Amino acid sequence: MNALRADVAVAWQIARKDALAELRGRQAAGSTIFFAGLVLLLFGFALGPDSRRLTEAAPGLLWLAIVFGSLLTVARLHQLEADDGALEELARYPIERHAIFLGKALSGFAAVLVLGGLLLPLVAILYGIDLAAAWPALLATLVLGAIGISAVGTFYAGVTVRMRAREVMLPLLMLPIIAPLLLAAVKATSAALLGDPLGDLGAWLQLLTAFDIVMLAAGAVTYGYLLEE
Amino acid sequence: MQDLAFVIAGWGVIIGGLAAYAVLLLKRLSLARRVSIGIRQQAESAPPPDRPA
Amino acid sequence: MTRILGLVALIAVVAASANALFVVPADVNQGDAQRIMYVHVPSAWLAYLSFGVTALAGIGYLWRRDLRFDAIAVAGAEIGVMFTAFAIWGGMMWGRPVWGVFWQWEDPRLTTTALLLALYLGYLLFRRLTDDPHRRAARAAVVGLIAAVDIPIVHFSVEWWRGLHQTPTIGSPDKVLNPSAPGLFVIALVSMVAAFTLAWAWLMMRRYQLARIEWQIEEHGRLGRITAARRAAMAALPPADGAKEGA
Repeated sequence: MNALRADVAVAWQIARKDALAELRGRQAAGSTIFFAGLVLLLFGFALGPDSRRLTEAAPGLLWLAIVFGSLLTVARLHQLEADDGALEELARYPIERHAIFLGKALSGFAAVLVLGGLLLPLVAILYGIDLAAAWPALLATLVLGAIGISAVGTFYAGVTVRMRAREVMLPLLMLPIIAPLLLAAVKATSAALLGDPLGDLGAWLQLLTAFDIVMLAAGAVTYGYLLEE
Repeated sequence: MQDLAFVIAGWGVIIGGLAAYAVLLLKRLSLARRVSIGIRQQAESAPPPDRPA
Repeated sequence: MTRILGLVALIAVVAASANALFVVPADVNQGDAQRIMYVHVPSAWLAYLSFGVTALAGIGYLWRRDLRFDAIAVAGAEIGVMFTAFAIWGGMMWGRPVWGVFWQWEDPRLTTTALLLALYLGYLLFRRLTDDPHRRAARAAVVGLIAAVDIPIVHFSVEWWRGLHQTPTIGSPDKVLNPSAPGLFVIALVSMVAAFTLAWAWLMMRRYQLARIEWQIEEHGRLGRITAARRAAMAALPPADGAKEGA
Protein backbone atom coordinates (compact mmCIF):
# COMPACT_ATOMS: atom_id res chain seq x y z
CA MET A 1 0.00 0.00 0.00
CA ASN A 2 2.92 2.26 0.75
CA ALA A 3 4.18 1.90 -2.79
CA LEU A 4 0.85 3.13 -4.07
CA ARG A 5 0.90 6.13 -1.79
CA ALA A 6 4.43 6.95 -2.88
CA ASP A 7 3.41 6.79 -6.52
CA VAL A 8 0.43 9.02 -5.94
CA ALA A 9 2.60 11.49 -4.09
CA VAL A 10 5.09 11.57 -6.91
CA ALA A 11 2.42 12.01 -9.56
CA TRP A 12 0.84 14.81 -7.58
CA GLN A 13 4.18 16.59 -7.15
CA ILE A 14 4.88 16.44 -10.85
CA ALA A 15 1.40 17.64 -11.71
CA ARG A 16 1.72 20.52 -9.27
CA LYS A 17 5.06 21.53 -10.69
CA ASP A 18 3.65 21.55 -14.20
CA ALA A 19 0.58 23.49 -13.14
CA LEU A 20 2.71 26.13 -11.43
CA ALA A 21 4.90 26.42 -14.50
CA GLU A 22 1.83 26.81 -16.67
CA LEU A 23 0.42 29.51 -14.43
CA ARG A 24 3.69 31.38 -14.43
CA GLY A 25 4.11 31.07 -18.16
CA ARG A 26 0.62 32.37 -18.71
CA GLN A 27 1.41 33.65 -22.13
CA ALA A 28 1.93 30.26 -23.68
CA ALA A 29 -1.18 28.77 -22.14
CA GLY A 30 -3.19 31.84 -23.07
CA SER A 31 -1.96 31.72 -26.63
CA THR A 32 -3.11 28.15 -26.91
CA ILE A 33 -6.59 29.03 -25.78
CA PHE A 34 -6.60 31.93 -28.19
CA PHE A 35 -5.52 29.62 -30.99
CA ALA A 36 -8.32 27.17 -30.27
CA GLY A 37 -10.79 30.02 -30.22
CA LEU A 38 -9.52 31.20 -33.58
CA VAL A 39 -9.99 27.72 -34.96
CA LEU A 40 -13.62 27.84 -33.90
CA LEU A 41 -14.03 31.20 -35.53
CA LEU A 42 -12.49 30.01 -38.76
CA PHE A 43 -14.76 27.00 -38.81
CA GLY A 44 -17.60 29.51 -38.82
CA PHE A 45 -16.20 31.14 -41.91
CA ALA A 46 -15.52 27.82 -43.56
CA LEU A 47 -18.88 26.21 -42.93
CA GLY A 48 -21.22 29.16 -42.54
CA PRO A 49 -23.19 31.29 -42.87
CA ASP A 50 -26.10 28.87 -42.55
CA SER A 51 -26.44 28.81 -38.79
CA ARG A 52 -28.48 25.64 -38.79
CA ARG A 53 -25.62 23.79 -40.39
CA LEU A 54 -23.22 25.27 -37.86
CA THR A 55 -25.45 24.31 -34.96
CA GLU A 56 -25.54 20.74 -36.24
CA ALA A 57 -21.81 20.69 -36.68
CA ALA A 58 -21.07 22.37 -33.36
CA PRO A 59 -20.13 19.28 -31.32
CA GLY A 60 -17.66 18.15 -33.97
CA LEU A 61 -16.13 21.60 -34.31
CA LEU A 62 -15.82 21.99 -30.56
CA TRP A 63 -13.89 18.76 -30.21
CA LEU A 64 -11.68 19.45 -33.17
CA ALA A 65 -10.73 22.77 -31.62
CA ILE A 66 -10.02 21.04 -28.31
CA VAL A 67 -7.86 18.42 -30.01
CA PHE A 68 -5.85 20.96 -31.98
CA GLY A 69 -5.33 23.10 -28.92
CA SER A 70 -4.28 20.07 -26.92
CA LEU A 71 -1.54 19.29 -29.44
CA LEU A 72 0.12 22.52 -28.45
CA THR A 73 -0.52 22.02 -24.76
CA VAL A 74 0.97 18.55 -24.37
CA ALA A 75 3.98 19.46 -26.45
CA ARG A 76 4.61 22.46 -24.24
CA LEU A 77 4.25 20.49 -21.01
CA HIS A 78 7.00 18.15 -22.08
CA GLN A 79 9.19 20.83 -23.52
CA LEU A 80 9.56 22.36 -20.06
CA GLU A 81 11.68 19.45 -18.93
CA ALA A 82 13.34 18.61 -22.20
CA ASP A 83 14.96 21.97 -22.62
CA ASP A 84 16.70 21.71 -19.29
CA GLY A 85 17.54 18.06 -19.54
CA ALA A 86 15.28 17.57 -16.58
CA LEU A 87 13.65 14.44 -17.95
CA GLU A 88 16.88 12.54 -17.58
CA GLU A 89 17.17 13.92 -14.08
CA LEU A 90 13.70 12.69 -13.24
CA ALA A 91 14.51 9.30 -14.64
CA ARG A 92 17.44 8.93 -12.31
CA TYR A 93 15.39 9.35 -9.18
CA PRO A 94 14.29 6.10 -7.58
CA ILE A 95 10.66 6.64 -8.49
CA GLU A 96 8.36 4.59 -10.62
CA ARG A 97 8.24 5.59 -14.25
CA HIS A 98 4.50 5.19 -14.39
CA ALA A 99 4.18 7.73 -11.63
CA ILE A 100 6.00 10.25 -13.80
CA PHE A 101 3.66 9.47 -16.66
CA LEU A 102 0.55 9.79 -14.53
CA GLY A 103 1.76 13.04 -13.05
CA LYS A 104 2.30 14.57 -16.45
CA ALA A 105 -0.97 13.15 -17.69
CA LEU A 106 -2.68 14.74 -14.73
CA SER A 107 -1.37 18.20 -15.52
CA GLY A 108 -2.25 17.63 -19.16
CA PHE A 109 -5.75 16.66 -18.14
CA ALA A 110 -6.18 19.84 -16.14
CA ALA A 111 -4.96 21.95 -19.05
CA VAL A 112 -7.25 20.26 -21.57
CA LEU A 113 -10.18 20.48 -19.20
CA VAL A 114 -9.65 24.20 -18.78
CA LEU A 115 -9.35 24.57 -22.54
CA GLY A 116 -12.59 22.72 -23.14
CA GLY A 117 -14.36 24.58 -20.40
CA LEU A 118 -13.40 27.92 -21.94
CA LEU A 119 -14.37 26.84 -25.43
CA LEU A 120 -17.85 25.68 -24.46
CA PRO A 121 -19.31 29.14 -23.90
CA LEU A 122 -17.60 30.32 -27.08
CA VAL A 123 -19.26 27.53 -29.02
CA ALA A 124 -22.56 28.38 -27.42
CA ILE A 125 -22.26 31.96 -28.64
CA LEU A 126 -20.85 31.29 -32.08
CA TYR A 127 -23.03 28.38 -33.02
CA GLY A 128 -26.13 29.07 -31.05
CA ILE A 129 -26.46 26.18 -28.65
CA ASP A 130 -28.17 26.06 -25.35
CA LEU A 131 -25.82 24.62 -22.76
CA ALA A 132 -27.89 24.99 -19.64
CA ALA A 133 -30.07 21.91 -19.76
CA ALA A 134 -27.34 19.49 -20.66
CA TRP A 135 -24.50 20.64 -18.49
CA PRO A 136 -23.98 17.51 -16.33
CA ALA A 137 -23.68 15.31 -19.39
CA LEU A 138 -21.52 17.89 -21.11
CA LEU A 139 -19.24 18.07 -18.12
CA ALA A 140 -18.92 14.28 -17.98
CA THR A 141 -18.06 14.16 -21.66
CA LEU A 142 -15.52 16.94 -21.26
CA VAL A 143 -13.86 15.21 -18.32
CA LEU A 144 -13.68 11.81 -19.99
CA GLY A 145 -12.50 13.31 -23.26
CA ALA A 146 -9.84 15.36 -21.52
CA ILE A 147 -8.50 12.28 -19.73
CA GLY A 148 -8.12 10.40 -23.00
CA ILE A 149 -6.57 13.28 -24.91
CA SER A 150 -4.14 13.90 -22.09
CA ALA A 151 -3.17 10.24 -21.76
CA VAL A 152 -2.45 9.84 -25.46
CA GLY A 153 -0.94 13.29 -25.81
CA THR A 154 1.37 12.90 -22.83
CA PHE A 155 2.57 9.60 -24.16
CA TYR A 156 3.37 10.89 -27.64
CA ALA A 157 4.85 14.09 -26.31
CA GLY A 158 7.23 11.87 -24.36
CA VAL A 159 7.97 9.85 -27.45
CA THR A 160 8.76 12.85 -29.63
CA VAL A 161 10.31 15.17 -27.11
CA ARG A 162 13.87 14.84 -28.34
CA MET A 163 13.26 14.03 -31.94
CA ARG A 164 13.86 15.92 -35.11
CA ALA A 165 10.71 17.26 -36.72
CA ARG A 166 8.82 16.79 -33.47
CA GLU A 167 6.34 19.59 -34.24
CA VAL A 168 4.86 17.53 -37.02
CA MET A 169 5.52 14.07 -35.60
CA LEU A 170 3.43 14.65 -32.49
CA PRO A 171 0.18 15.40 -34.35
CA LEU A 172 0.97 12.83 -37.01
CA LEU A 173 1.29 10.05 -34.47
CA MET A 174 -1.36 11.22 -32.07
CA LEU A 175 -4.28 12.08 -34.32
CA PRO A 176 -5.00 8.61 -35.73
CA ILE A 177 -4.97 7.22 -32.21
CA ILE A 178 -7.39 9.86 -30.99
CA ALA A 179 -9.94 9.19 -33.75
CA PRO A 180 -12.21 6.91 -31.72
CA LEU A 181 -12.17 9.35 -28.83
CA LEU A 182 -13.14 12.15 -31.17
CA LEU A 183 -15.94 10.05 -32.59
CA ALA A 184 -17.33 9.11 -29.19
CA ALA A 185 -16.94 12.56 -27.63
CA VAL A 186 -18.73 14.23 -30.50
CA LYS A 187 -21.53 11.68 -30.41
CA ALA A 188 -21.89 12.06 -26.67
CA THR A 189 -21.88 15.86 -26.86
CA SER A 190 -24.43 15.81 -29.62
CA ALA A 191 -26.64 13.40 -27.71
CA ALA A 192 -26.36 15.51 -24.58
CA LEU A 193 -27.33 18.69 -26.39
CA LEU A 194 -30.35 17.07 -28.00
CA GLY A 195 -31.57 15.55 -24.78
CA ASP A 196 -30.40 12.05 -25.65
CA PRO A 197 -33.17 11.12 -28.10
CA LEU A 198 -31.68 7.74 -28.98
CA GLY A 199 -30.67 6.84 -25.48
CA ASP A 200 -27.10 6.17 -26.52
CA LEU A 201 -25.36 8.80 -24.41
CA GLY A 202 -24.46 6.18 -21.83
CA ALA A 203 -22.95 3.91 -24.43
CA TRP A 204 -20.71 6.63 -25.80
CA LEU A 205 -19.58 7.64 -22.35
CA GLN A 206 -18.74 4.01 -21.68
CA LEU A 207 -16.67 3.89 -24.83
CA LEU A 208 -14.83 7.02 -23.72
CA THR A 209 -14.18 5.46 -20.33
CA ALA A 210 -12.86 2.28 -21.89
CA PHE A 211 -10.59 4.29 -24.15
CA ASP A 212 -9.29 6.29 -21.20
CA ILE A 213 -8.54 3.21 -19.12
CA VAL A 214 -6.78 1.42 -21.97
CA MET A 215 -4.67 4.42 -22.93
CA LEU A 216 -3.72 5.36 -19.39
CA ALA A 217 -2.66 1.78 -18.71
CA ALA A 218 -0.75 1.42 -21.96
CA GLY A 219 0.94 4.77 -21.48
CA ALA A 220 1.90 4.06 -17.90
CA VAL A 221 3.39 0.69 -18.75
CA THR A 222 5.40 1.84 -21.75
CA TYR A 223 6.52 5.30 -20.65
CA GLY A 224 9.37 3.80 -18.73
CA TYR A 225 10.97 2.47 -21.90
CA LEU A 226 11.08 5.98 -23.30
CA LEU A 227 13.04 7.34 -20.38
CA GLU A 228 15.56 4.56 -20.47
CA GLU A 229 17.64 5.99 -23.25
CA MET B 1 -19.27 -3.64 -68.83
CA GLN B 2 -17.95 -0.50 -67.17
CA ASP B 3 -17.30 -2.68 -64.18
CA LEU B 4 -14.46 -4.28 -66.08
CA ALA B 5 -12.41 -1.13 -65.76
CA PHE B 6 -12.62 -1.33 -61.97
CA VAL B 7 -11.81 -5.03 -61.93
CA ILE B 8 -8.74 -4.39 -64.05
CA ALA B 9 -7.73 -1.37 -62.00
CA GLY B 10 -8.21 -3.27 -58.76
CA TRP B 11 -6.41 -6.43 -59.76
CA GLY B 12 -3.79 -4.66 -61.79
CA VAL B 13 -2.60 -2.36 -59.07
CA ILE B 14 -2.60 -5.05 -56.41
CA ILE B 15 -0.94 -7.87 -58.33
CA GLY B 16 1.29 -5.45 -60.18
CA GLY B 17 2.24 -3.70 -56.97
CA LEU B 18 3.03 -7.02 -55.34
CA ALA B 19 5.26 -8.02 -58.21
CA ALA B 20 6.97 -4.64 -58.30
CA TYR B 21 7.65 -4.72 -54.57
CA ALA B 22 9.04 -8.25 -54.79
CA VAL B 23 11.40 -7.30 -57.61
CA LEU B 24 12.49 -4.15 -55.82
CA LEU B 25 13.07 -6.09 -52.63
CA LEU B 26 15.30 -8.58 -54.39
CA LYS B 27 17.28 -5.73 -55.92
CA ARG B 28 17.72 -4.02 -52.56
CA LEU B 29 18.80 -7.32 -51.07
CA SER B 30 21.44 -8.03 -53.69
CA LEU B 31 22.76 -4.49 -53.42
CA ALA B 32 22.98 -4.73 -49.66
CA ARG B 33 24.74 -8.06 -49.88
CA ARG B 34 27.33 -6.63 -52.22
CA VAL B 35 27.97 -3.70 -49.91
CA SER B 36 28.21 -6.01 -46.93
CA ILE B 37 30.70 -8.30 -48.66
CA GLY B 38 32.70 -5.29 -49.71
CA ILE B 39 32.91 -4.13 -46.12
CA ARG B 40 34.04 -7.49 -44.91
CA GLN B 41 36.78 -7.70 -47.53
CA GLN B 42 37.92 -4.24 -46.58
CA ALA B 43 38.12 -5.22 -42.95
CA GLU B 44 40.07 -8.37 -43.66
CA SER B 45 42.66 -6.78 -45.92
CA ALA B 46 43.41 -3.64 -43.92
CA PRO B 47 43.14 -3.97 -40.15
CA PRO B 48 42.82 -0.56 -38.46
CA PRO B 49 46.11 0.78 -37.02
CA ASP B 50 44.67 1.85 -33.66
CA ARG B 51 43.44 -0.64 -31.20
CA PRO B 52 39.67 -1.27 -31.18
CA ALA B 53 37.80 -0.20 -28.04
CA MET C 1 14.79 -22.75 -48.52
CA THR C 2 13.36 -19.31 -48.98
CA ARG C 3 13.71 -19.75 -52.70
CA ILE C 4 11.45 -22.80 -52.68
CA LEU C 5 8.89 -20.88 -50.69
CA GLY C 6 9.09 -18.07 -53.20
CA LEU C 7 8.55 -20.41 -56.09
CA VAL C 8 5.63 -22.15 -54.44
CA ALA C 9 4.08 -18.81 -53.56
CA LEU C 10 4.42 -17.56 -57.11
CA ILE C 11 2.75 -20.65 -58.55
CA ALA C 12 0.00 -20.48 -55.96
CA VAL C 13 -0.75 -16.83 -56.65
CA VAL C 14 -0.84 -17.35 -60.39
CA ALA C 15 -3.06 -20.41 -60.13
CA ALA C 16 -5.47 -18.98 -57.60
CA SER C 17 -5.69 -15.71 -59.54
CA ALA C 18 -6.44 -17.50 -62.78
CA ASN C 19 -9.17 -19.40 -61.05
CA ALA C 20 -10.63 -16.30 -59.44
CA LEU C 21 -10.59 -14.28 -62.62
CA PHE C 22 -11.59 -16.78 -65.28
CA VAL C 23 -12.95 -19.98 -63.82
CA VAL C 24 -15.30 -18.91 -61.07
CA PRO C 25 -18.56 -17.53 -62.47
CA ALA C 26 -19.45 -13.89 -61.98
CA ASP C 27 -21.77 -12.98 -59.13
CA VAL C 28 -25.40 -12.64 -60.13
CA ASN C 29 -25.95 -9.52 -58.01
CA GLN C 30 -22.63 -7.73 -58.17
CA GLY C 31 -21.33 -8.86 -61.54
CA ASP C 32 -17.67 -9.06 -62.28
CA ALA C 33 -16.97 -6.38 -59.74
CA GLN C 34 -17.31 -9.02 -57.07
CA ARG C 35 -14.04 -10.55 -58.30
CA ILE C 36 -12.21 -7.64 -56.70
CA MET C 37 -13.03 -9.21 -53.38
CA TYR C 38 -10.58 -11.99 -54.23
CA VAL C 39 -7.68 -9.56 -53.92
CA HIS C 40 -9.23 -7.16 -51.46
CA VAL C 41 -9.95 -9.67 -48.70
CA PRO C 42 -6.48 -11.33 -48.71
CA SER C 43 -4.86 -7.90 -48.73
CA ALA C 44 -6.91 -6.79 -45.75
CA TRP C 45 -6.14 -9.99 -43.86
CA LEU C 46 -2.41 -9.57 -44.47
CA ALA C 47 -2.54 -5.91 -43.56
CA TYR C 48 -3.83 -6.77 -40.11
CA LEU C 49 -1.61 -9.83 -39.76
CA SER C 50 1.46 -7.74 -40.51
CA PHE C 51 0.38 -5.20 -37.97
CA GLY C 52 0.03 -7.88 -35.35
CA VAL C 53 3.48 -9.19 -36.21
CA THR C 54 4.99 -5.73 -35.91
CA ALA C 55 3.37 -5.16 -32.54
CA LEU C 56 4.44 -8.56 -31.19
CA ALA C 57 7.96 -8.13 -32.53
CA GLY C 58 8.11 -4.83 -30.71
CA ILE C 59 7.19 -6.54 -27.46
CA GLY C 60 9.84 -9.12 -28.24
CA TYR C 61 12.45 -6.42 -28.60
CA LEU C 62 11.50 -4.72 -25.35
CA TRP C 63 11.67 -8.07 -23.61
CA ARG C 64 14.96 -9.36 -25.05
CA ARG C 65 16.65 -6.26 -26.50
CA ASP C 66 17.55 -8.39 -29.52
CA LEU C 67 17.62 -6.30 -32.69
CA ARG C 68 16.44 -9.27 -34.71
CA PHE C 69 13.01 -8.61 -33.30
CA ASP C 70 13.24 -5.08 -34.57
CA ALA C 71 14.13 -6.41 -38.02
CA ILE C 72 10.92 -8.41 -37.95
CA ALA C 73 9.02 -5.33 -36.84
CA VAL C 74 10.24 -3.15 -39.69
CA ALA C 75 9.60 -5.94 -42.20
CA GLY C 76 6.06 -6.27 -40.95
CA ALA C 77 5.52 -2.53 -41.11
CA GLU C 78 6.79 -2.03 -44.62
CA ILE C 79 4.97 -5.02 -46.04
CA GLY C 80 1.94 -4.19 -43.96
CA VAL C 81 1.66 -0.65 -45.25
CA MET C 82 1.71 -2.03 -48.78
CA PHE C 83 -1.09 -4.51 -48.13
CA THR C 84 -3.08 -1.86 -46.31
CA ALA C 85 -2.85 0.40 -49.34
CA PHE C 86 -3.92 -2.53 -51.52
CA ALA C 87 -6.86 -3.26 -49.26
CA ILE C 88 -8.09 0.32 -49.40
CA TRP C 89 -7.58 0.47 -53.14
CA GLY C 90 -9.46 -2.79 -53.61
CA GLY C 91 -12.21 -1.57 -51.33
CA MET C 92 -12.57 1.61 -53.38
CA MET C 93 -12.51 -0.22 -56.71
CA TRP C 94 -15.21 -2.53 -55.43
CA GLY C 95 -17.20 0.23 -53.83
CA ARG C 96 -17.59 2.36 -56.93
CA PRO C 97 -19.48 -0.18 -59.06
CA VAL C 98 -21.34 -1.84 -56.18
CA TRP C 99 -22.13 1.07 -53.88
CA GLY C 100 -21.89 3.82 -56.44
CA VAL C 101 -19.28 5.64 -54.40
CA PHE C 102 -15.54 5.25 -53.90
CA TRP C 103 -15.77 5.92 -50.22
CA GLN C 104 -18.35 5.36 -47.55
CA TRP C 105 -18.02 6.47 -43.95
CA GLU C 106 -20.42 3.86 -42.68
CA ASP C 107 -18.31 0.87 -43.55
CA PRO C 108 -16.31 0.17 -40.41
CA ARG C 109 -13.77 -1.96 -42.26
CA LEU C 110 -12.92 0.74 -44.76
CA THR C 111 -12.54 3.49 -42.19
CA THR C 112 -10.60 1.32 -39.76
CA THR C 113 -8.25 0.28 -42.56
CA ALA C 114 -7.73 3.91 -43.52
CA LEU C 115 -6.72 4.64 -39.96
CA LEU C 116 -4.46 1.59 -40.05
CA LEU C 117 -2.71 3.14 -43.03
CA ALA C 118 -2.23 6.37 -41.13
CA LEU C 119 -0.80 4.48 -38.15
CA TYR C 120 1.59 2.48 -40.34
CA LEU C 121 2.85 5.51 -42.21
CA GLY C 122 3.36 7.34 -38.95
CA TYR C 123 5.29 4.37 -37.60
CA LEU C 124 7.57 4.17 -40.64
CA LEU C 125 8.20 7.91 -40.74
CA PHE C 126 8.90 7.87 -37.05
CA ARG C 127 11.52 5.16 -37.46
CA ARG C 128 13.40 7.24 -39.98
CA LEU C 129 13.96 10.03 -37.54
CA THR C 130 16.04 8.09 -35.05
CA ASP C 131 19.53 6.94 -35.94
CA ASP C 132 20.61 4.89 -32.98
CA PRO C 133 19.39 1.32 -33.64
CA HIS C 134 18.51 0.42 -30.08
CA ARG C 135 16.80 3.68 -29.33
CA ARG C 136 14.90 3.43 -32.58
CA ALA C 137 13.85 -0.12 -31.83
CA ALA C 138 12.63 0.74 -28.36
CA ARG C 139 10.70 3.81 -29.45
CA ALA C 140 9.21 2.04 -32.43
CA ALA C 141 8.15 -0.88 -30.27
CA VAL C 142 6.35 1.43 -27.89
CA VAL C 143 4.65 3.39 -30.66
CA GLY C 144 3.64 0.19 -32.41
CA LEU C 145 2.15 -1.17 -29.25
CA ILE C 146 -0.10 1.80 -28.58
CA ALA C 147 -1.22 1.72 -32.19
CA ALA C 148 -2.04 -1.98 -31.95
CA VAL C 149 -4.06 -1.38 -28.82
CA ASP C 150 -6.00 1.38 -30.55
CA ILE C 151 -7.12 -0.63 -33.56
CA PRO C 152 -9.80 -2.73 -31.86
CA ILE C 153 -11.16 0.40 -30.18
CA VAL C 154 -11.38 2.12 -33.54
CA HIS C 155 -13.18 -0.78 -35.15
CA PHE C 156 -15.60 -1.09 -32.31
CA SER C 157 -16.41 2.61 -32.20
CA VAL C 158 -16.97 2.87 -35.94
CA GLU C 159 -19.31 -0.11 -35.79
CA TRP C 160 -21.37 1.68 -33.16
CA TRP C 161 -21.19 4.86 -35.19
CA ARG C 162 -22.60 3.12 -38.18
CA GLY C 163 -25.38 1.49 -36.22
CA LEU C 164 -27.12 4.82 -35.77
CA HIS C 165 -27.35 5.69 -39.43
CA GLN C 166 -29.16 3.21 -41.60
CA THR C 167 -29.37 5.06 -44.90
CA PRO C 168 -31.46 3.08 -47.36
CA THR C 169 -29.91 4.69 -50.43
CA ILE C 170 -26.51 3.10 -50.02
CA GLY C 171 -26.78 -0.67 -49.90
CA SER C 172 -25.73 -2.59 -46.86
CA PRO C 173 -21.98 -3.17 -46.87
CA ASP C 174 -22.52 -6.71 -45.74
CA LYS C 175 -23.61 -7.64 -49.21
CA VAL C 176 -20.03 -8.52 -49.92
CA LEU C 177 -20.33 -11.77 -48.05
CA ASN C 178 -23.61 -12.89 -49.60
CA PRO C 179 -22.62 -13.91 -53.09
CA SER C 180 -24.89 -15.85 -55.36
CA ALA C 181 -22.67 -18.94 -55.49
CA PRO C 182 -21.31 -19.42 -51.99
CA GLY C 183 -19.49 -22.71 -52.47
CA LEU C 184 -17.27 -21.73 -55.37
CA PHE C 185 -16.80 -18.30 -53.89
CA VAL C 186 -15.48 -19.70 -50.65
CA ILE C 187 -13.05 -22.03 -52.37
CA ALA C 188 -11.75 -19.27 -54.61
CA LEU C 189 -11.44 -16.86 -51.71
CA VAL C 190 -9.69 -19.32 -49.41
CA SER C 191 -7.23 -20.31 -52.11
CA MET C 192 -6.43 -16.66 -52.78
CA VAL C 193 -5.94 -16.00 -49.10
CA ALA C 194 -3.64 -19.01 -48.82
CA ALA C 195 -1.66 -18.03 -51.91
CA PHE C 196 -1.27 -14.45 -50.76
CA THR C 197 -0.23 -15.60 -47.32
CA LEU C 198 2.53 -17.72 -48.83
CA ALA C 199 3.68 -14.71 -50.80
CA TRP C 200 3.56 -12.64 -47.63
CA ALA C 201 5.70 -15.16 -45.76
CA TRP C 202 8.32 -15.07 -48.51
CA LEU C 203 8.31 -11.27 -48.60
CA MET C 204 8.67 -11.14 -44.82
CA MET C 205 11.68 -13.45 -44.88
CA ARG C 206 13.42 -11.47 -47.59
CA ARG C 207 12.65 -8.15 -45.97
CA TYR C 208 13.90 -9.47 -42.64
CA GLN C 209 17.17 -10.53 -44.28
CA LEU C 210 17.47 -7.11 -45.82
CA ALA C 211 16.85 -5.43 -42.48
CA ARG C 212 19.61 -7.42 -40.80
CA ILE C 213 22.16 -6.70 -43.50
CA GLU C 214 21.21 -3.03 -43.50
CA TRP C 215 21.73 -2.91 -39.78
CA GLN C 216 25.18 -4.41 -40.15
CA ILE C 217 26.04 -1.82 -42.76
CA GLU C 218 24.68 0.87 -40.53
CA GLU C 219 26.76 -0.39 -37.61
CA HIS C 220 29.84 -0.42 -39.74
CA GLY C 221 29.12 3.11 -40.86
CA ARG C 222 28.80 4.24 -37.26
CA LEU C 223 31.96 2.46 -36.17
CA GLY C 224 33.75 3.92 -39.14
CA ARG C 225 32.72 7.42 -38.15
CA ILE C 226 33.68 6.82 -34.53
CA THR C 227 37.06 5.42 -35.57
CA ALA C 228 37.68 8.30 -37.94
CA ALA C 229 36.73 10.81 -35.26
CA ARG C 230 39.04 9.20 -32.76
CA ARG C 231 41.90 9.16 -35.22
CA ALA C 232 41.35 12.81 -35.96
CA ALA C 233 41.25 13.62 -32.26
CA MET C 234 44.42 11.69 -31.54
CA ALA C 235 46.23 13.26 -34.49
CA ALA C 236 45.36 16.69 -33.11
CA LEU C 237 46.82 15.94 -29.70
CA PRO C 238 50.43 16.90 -28.94
CA PRO C 239 52.66 13.79 -28.83
CA ALA C 240 51.86 12.22 -25.47
CA ASP C 241 53.83 9.75 -23.42
CA GLY C 242 52.17 6.52 -22.34
CA ALA C 243 49.06 7.49 -24.26
CA LYS C 244 45.94 6.54 -22.39
CA GLU C 245 43.07 4.93 -24.22
CA GLY C 246 39.99 7.14 -24.46
CA ALA C 247 36.47 5.77 -24.34
